[in-house]
Amino acid sequence: MSHLVLMTAYAALVGVFFALLWRRGRGEQAKLFLQIFLGMMIGAILLGWLMYPFPTGPAAPIP
Amino acid sequence: MTEAAKSSFPARAVLLAGVAWLLPASGHLLLGKRLRALGFAVCILLAFGLGIRLSGNLYRPVSGQPLSYLATVGAMGVGAPYYVARYALGYQGTAEAPGYEYGTIFLLSAGLMNLLLVLDVWDIASGRKEDE
Repeated sequence: MSHLVLMTAYAALVGVFFALLWRRGRGEQAKLFLQIFLGMMIGAILLGWLMYPFPTGPAAPIP
Repeated sequence: MTEAAKSSFPARAVLLAGVAWLLPASGHLLLGKRLRALGFAVCILLAFGLGIRLSGNLYRPVSGQPLSYLATVGAMGVGAPYYVARYALGYQGTAEAPGYEYGTIFLLSAGLMNLLLVLDVWDIASGRKEDE
């Protein structure tokens, strides 16, 4: 599975879990789910994009 | 605080919290929250299954590594699935697997999510949390 699929699955699972745990009522749950899901997805993509110019460099030595 | 919270020893809450830890989402099921219990069970078991499928690390204590003890408590939070995978199936995880890091996060998250459910069941059963 690709990184994007796994990231999406993780964000969806966490979003559903906290929406069910912290909110009552379908509307409120859907709203929190979208906030968490989109926050994680957009945040991760944005962070990856911001890190893109940084050189990867050599692999760190294993202690 | 509700009337239930004023009682001396919350035996029912202790029992429900124990069951909730052992079998993910069973606490909410016993409290009559069927739909929510189903949702929680799907989330936790799917996360755990994905973690196993990706050959993630099912944490165990490693001497000289204090953080491994903390991570083990988190992973054990999922209850029976941890012990079944670890001891009945002999699951260890594969550090060389491409999905190892992701799998580890899924396994750890499943345990932590179930621990949050245990706390929620405790709060509802002991009357600390009003729940419709």
